[in-house]
Amino acid sequence: MNSKSKVPCIPIEGSISWEDWLKGRRFRREMGNRVAPENIRRKTSSSDRRLKKLFNGERGLPFTPTEKL
Amino acid sequence: MDSEKIKSALADVTAEQDPTLKSAKLASLCSALWLERGVELVVVGGSAIEILTEGAYASGDLDMCHATKASLSVAERKEIMGLLDAKGGPRNWQVAGMYLDLLGPVESFARTPYRRVEAPYGSILVMKPEDLLVERVLMTFYLGESQMALDCAKKFISVILTGGMAVNWSEVRRLANLPEYRNLPQCEKLVKEVADELKIKSPLHSN
Repeated sequence: MNSKSKVPCIPIEGSISWEDWLKGRRFRREMGNRVAPENIRRKTSSSDRRLKKLFNGERGLPFTPTEKL
Repeated sequence: MDSEKIKSALADVTAEQDPTLKSAKLASLCSALWLERGVELVVVGGSAIEILTEGAYASGDLDMCHATKASLSVAERKEIMGLLDAKGGPRNWQVAGMYLDLLGPVESFARTPYRRVEAPYGSILVMKPEDLLVERVLMTFYLGESQMALDCAKKFISVILTGGMAVNWSEVRRLANLPEYRNLPQCEKLVKEVADELKIKSPLHSN
């Protein structure tokens, strides 16, 4: 557990439960957003052809907004 | 895992519309099926970074490696992925509305364990953040500065510094000094830069 925020920490040893990992999703997203833009998915890659075919012209499913995590 | 459970898991993964959950659930299902045949899989690359950071970084493909030299024969892969109605193979499949790439044996220099998430269909092993961090910093500066790689590295560092995931900083330092990387000054600089933005002390400062 992260002592400052009480958000579950992904540990070095052992494992994190699915419930704790889910609980930490919003915190992790928010902490990343403090130092870089929210969506940093690459615009292109060598997999573009197959990805755009499967995801209607996008490179993957849209990310869940932070407030819904 | 019996066929009913596989069918139910596959329906769940297929219906999932959150890309990170979809990726994690597919990794969990595939890991369980491969483990039943004696091979441990590890999530690597952008998919691993996404599971560790929620950084809105990964695309719609899941990259996995096997944790040991041993893998499965083409016939065994075909059998397993057939259970999941996967198309393609023997290293890339379209499955449950996304792509799975099996890249071969994992390459890791860190002496720390793979991180483990107890996901719905079985444990997921995730690439060690110590490797991911040093590699991501390398990617940031390898061909001039890449903004996308820089943003990814900064988010990764921020999640670590704020307590979202634990890393062994001694290992980070050791890896960054290896001939494969030789980027300790760049790692120190970037960790300090993020720490300064967060107004906390960098744990990777020069002695």
